[in-house]
Amino acid sequence: MTFLALSPLQAALLVILTGGTIVALYFLKLRHRRVVVSSSILWRRVLDEQQLHSLWEKLRWILSIVIAVTIALLIALALARPEAESLTGKNERIVIVLDTSPTMNTQTSDGRTRWQRAVDNAKGLLDGGGPTTEFRVIDTAGATATGFTTDRNEVRKLIGEMSPKTADPQFPRVDGKDSQVYFISDGVTIHNTPSFVKRISVFEAANNVGITAFEIRSIPSTPLGYEAYLEVQNFGQTAEVGITVSGAGGQRINKTALLATGESYRDVFDLSQFGGGGIRAAVQTKDDALPLDDVAFAYLPVKRKTRTLLVTKGNNSLETLLKLDNYVDLTVTDPANYRESPTIDAYIFDRFAPASAPARPALIIGAPNAPWLKPSTGEVTKPEITTWSEDHPVMQFVSVHDLSIERAASIDAGGLTVIAASKETPLIVVSEKPKWVMLTFDLGSSDFPFHVGFPVFIENVLAWFNREQLALKRSPGIVDVPLSNAQIRTIDGKIIPSDQQLGKTVFQTNDPGLYAATQGDQRVHVAVNLANPAFSDVNRSVFKTDKAFAEQHYWLRRELWFYMLIAALALISVEWFTYHRRITL
Amino acid sequence: MSTANANVTLFDDEFLKKLEYLNIISKRLFAGQNRAERRTRRRGTGLEFADYRQYVPGDDFRHLDWKAYLRLNRLILKLFEEEEDLPIYFFVDSSQSMNYGQPTKLDYARRVAAALCYIGLANLDRVNVISFADGVKAELPPQRGKGRIFKIFRFLTDMAPNGETDARSSFKTYCTETRRRGLAVVISDFFDGHGFAGALDILRHFRHDIFVVHIASHEEIDPGLRGELLLVDAESNATREITITPSLLTAYRAEYAKYCEAVESYCGKYQLGYVRTTTDFPFEELVLKVFRQGRFLK
Repeated sequence: MTFLALSPLQAALLVILTGGTIVALYFLKLRHRRVVVSSSILWRRVLDEQQLHSLWEKLRWILSIVIAVTIALLIALALARPEAESLTGKNERIVIVLDTSPTMNTQTSDGRTRWQRAVDNAKGLLDGGGPTTEFRVIDTAGATATGFTTDRNEVRKLIGEMSPKTADPQFPRVDGKDSQVYFISDGVTIHNTPSFVKRISVFEAANNVGITAFEIRSIPSTPLGYEAYLEVQNFGQTAEVGITVSGAGGQRINKTALLATGESYRDVFDLSQFGGGGIRAAVQTKDDALPLDDVAFAYLPVKRKTRTLLVTKGNNSLETLLKLDNYVDLTVTDPANYRESPTIDAYIFDRFAPASAPARPALIIGAPNAPWLKPSTGEVTKPEITTWSEDHPVMQFVSVHDLSIERAASIDAGGLTVIAASKETPLIVVSEKPKWVMLTFDLGSSDFPFHVGFPVFIENVLAWFNREQLALKRSPGIVDVPLSNAQIRTIDGKIIPSDQQLGKTVFQTNDPGLYAATQGDQRVHVAVNLANPAFSDVNRSVFKTDKAFAEQHYWLRRELWFYMLIAALALISVEWFTYHRRITL
Repeated sequence: MSTANANVTLFDDEFLKKLEYLNIISKRLFAGQNRAERRTRRRGTGLEFADYRQYVPGDDFRHLDWKAYLRLNRLILKLFEEEEDLPIYFFVDSSQSMNYGQPTKLDYARRVAAALCYIGLANLDRVNVISFADGVKAELPPQRGKGRIFKIFRFLTDMAPNGETDARSSFKTYCTETRRRGLAVVISDFFDGHGFAGALDILRHFRHDIFVVHIASHEEIDPGLRGELLLVDAESNATREITITPSLLTAYRAEYAKYCEAVESYCGKYQLGYVRTTTDFPFEELVLKVFRQGRFLK
């Protein structure tokens, strides 16, 4: 037996002092109450007769001392936190790593989920540990990582609060030198673990048909035209799959497909008949084990015309282009008659800039001088576009690699976003706030108006100015939105708690859905979809068989001091009972 | 207990009324059996015919049965019973152990003795009261007639509890000095370190008719003692440390019962009258019980 709170010498001293004190107290004379009796003749006889049983009397005396000493020692040694490995198990450390991958939501044949099995296994580990065993719980999402503790209730409570979370599970960094590390997983998303990790499987084969891709994309040839791309894959046995794409306005497309094991269904849906708003894709099949990937969401921008004011001294190609655009309501004026109007959605300034920035977004062509614009610091001749940003919405589907420019102004692009440049010379810059786009070259000194990408560029600029954007694509888990201090709502208006991190709004969701982030007049939609074959393939487990975990049980479940205090309490009760019945002294 | 208080509380008017009542009750109970005169085994000048015997010279001619002489031609003498009063000796234990209980055993003994004395006096018996402990402490000379009761009261009232009990020595001392046999009423708790049997043996040896009144207090029968105690013997002041346990109390009760049983058995064995009472038992009922035993009044 060892003591966690005292050294062996201190424990021995404690035993001697406690025992000695109690025995000494027992030998102290009690002050007897004086009682006069008429005669002690009969008392003498009784006592003399009782002395015949002196052995029992001595035993009573000894028993009383033994009980008192035992009680005192139990209490005293309980303070020293004794430990007996044979009873309580050695002082070990157990790290429980719980796989919180989305695949842990897969239902098993008993109607429960792999996650619930994992929780049961984790609690089994807790129950199997000794009283002094320290536990630590970590998940693969990086959201939960406790320190070592012997408080099972705390650990049990924590495990009860955990759930499958993230779309990007990773095995945490754990030290296997002083600890036993158990990894409870279905073996689907995390295949490789350190060699010292003991893996506990909760895997069971299941049928699953899931949406592995769903997105809405604009049709470059059709202004404000959109189509939806859907990919469905069967990861279970052959199944007939019902596919539904529905819109906020009640529009619906239904299809059916018979998918063999591992077979995929891919289709593009024309959404020209759909109004703007949320689009939901869903698959229906029998015995589907993972509901999480049965739905996917996207956002279809609302179609409306942009009231555009073109301020130019004359630019036929640009004017013609805008007039041909069905979604542009064009007004043309010369710089002398320019007046800012509240009815205008966007301005296009051709080789002109007003003295003050307009309240609405503007496309500035030719880098004119204005106080609210970057001043020109010189001129660059025949600049060749070397870099451009295809990811920016303005440059989507626009190829400028072969653009020929005669002259361009040189500006300092500090604080601006350069989306096309010739080496160090910015050619197309973007200001996020106020929102404007500037070409540092004149359309007349370049062949840009004759490029196929020019109408797309103008369309992108106007769309970026005023039109709704497609939804951002995110996976379940921690979702970030590139808007600061935005309010997050579900598609049905429910507010989701969010945080601010590095100028972004961050919120957490474990369910696929369409969310709207609003900050002032800015609004961004976020489509959170699982849409990942790595998660939908719930049978891609590294576990060949469902290995049963052999739990180790110890006789006692708590530290010895607890039982010692209980024993002391019981002995005190016995002592109290026997004392009052004069069995003990 | 102070004797002054005892005088007031023990023998007040109410007590005297009770004595008178007891006297009447006793006469009613035993009417026709006893009168003031006691028959003795002596043949004498009484009125009651006792027996015949042959005439021998020197006999009183007046007692010759002349009718028998005419029939039998023999001189036959008529014998008559001698009638004389009965000496009653009340041995009242006044040792320190009697000063125990509520009321004390001595107070109770005083009342019982007083009641029996009164009845004895009323029956014209010679009443002797002896206070004893480790010897004869005091002795009231023979009294006769109801008028002497107040003298007895005073004697009983002046009786103070002290000393250890040695009844054997006390009785021996008294009996060797006292000449006539009679009825010996012993009123005691019989807590005698020398043993009760030896004392009663003395009385038997002197051929007294013995009646035992065994007085106990409730506190002795069922002592409500608890805990760690220093027991002090009221008589000897001897002390003993004990721990009262339920088993010890049970053993004591059994021992006490055994002791009482021993006294009663002794009395039964030698056909002695025996009455045991506790101090909370009405003394008048006790007195009647004594009468019913038929030994006190013949």
